[in-house]
Amino acid sequence: MILTGRAIKEAVDQGEITISPFESARLGPNSYDFHLGTKCRTYDILVLDSGRPNPSTVQEVPPEGIVLDPKRIYLWDTWEVIGSSRYVPIIRARSSTARLGLFVHVTADMIDIGSINRLTLQLHAVVPVRVYPRMRVGQVTFWVCSGEIVPYAGKYRDTESPAGSLSYRDFGISE
Amino acid sequence: MILTGPAIAAAVARGDILIDPFNLSDLNPNSYNYHLFPEIYKGSASCHPGEIPSLPIPGTGLLLEPDCLYLGCTDEFFHSTRYAMTLVGRSSVGRLGLFVNISADLGHVGSHNRWTLEIKVIQPVIVYPHQCIGQVAFWETTGMPDRYAGRYQHDERPYPSKDARLLSSPHEADA
Repeated sequence: MILTGRAIKEAVDQGEITISPFESARLGPNSYDFHLGTKCRTYDILVLDSGRPNPSTVQEVPPEGIVLDPKRIYLWDTWEVIGSSRYVPIIRARSSTARLGLFVHVTADMIDIGSINRLTLQLHAVVPVRVYPRMRVGQVTFWVCSGEIVPYAGKYRDTESPAGSLSYRDFGISE
Repeated sequence: MILTGPAIAAAVARGDILIDPFNLSDLNPNSYNYHLFPEIYKGSASCHPGEIPSLPIPGTGLLLEPDCLYLGCTDEFFHSTRYAMTLVGRSSVGRLGLFVNISADLGHVGSHNRWTLEIKVIQPVIVYPHQCIGQVAFWETTGMPDRYAGRYQHDERPYPSKDARLLSSPHEADA
């Protein structure tokens, strides 16, 4: 079951969902619209290795935005801190974003219960597109779960978004 | 409703979900990790994946190129007669700009196979055999179940599209 907008609002009021800052006007019938933050991380190298650390740089994006190159992956924080101790958040693009050919994640739409942070969006533009900090870019839905809840304690728990891939840690490598 | 990690483990113990091999350490708060089987098909502008023999993924890694489509599969067999499944990538892999499916994330009740992955990268990415690459979530259903009796049942390795025949004979492909 998916929560309605009103149920999202109630869960925020009860502390079962974190969306901060929260504005009721951003609620949809079954989702909440989130915004890009102001920080964008890109890799310093072209060829990425899933088994090793890949150097990357964060930039503060100016108000005039940046044009995304279809041949690069951009990691971007959300303006909002988002998460839940009770429901499973799943993110997707707003239809207006998708109609510009902009992916907001790269087949990683599901957030673990108990992971409460600014999200790290994985932006991919099918054709070049200019994006702006603080633009409304996606929506988060919340899904009821079944079973005992063991909250997220994974490797991104204490990272600052947008965080680069820590895939190399699966290979027993530390930076 | 989506199953929590402990609910997935309980369903495996009851026999309502088959994950082979199954390791408790691969349970997440609301999903189960899968790994990359060491065989992959490569497709490009000049050939569909499957028209040329598959490639092994060596222990030293395989460089995946943008502008190509790769078909890999999971190490694990997945099967449930009770729950529907959805397949996503791992955030660590999404952050490298690697898609694990091409908008085909639903696994039907009753399907039993190594799940074929449609892999596409934005920047070149090196991948390794058996690396943790994504997650499967399990969903409760409502209504009388029909069992999957599709064309990809019991796949034990990556399986190219059976719709490739469409190019020569659309009616044959529907048969």
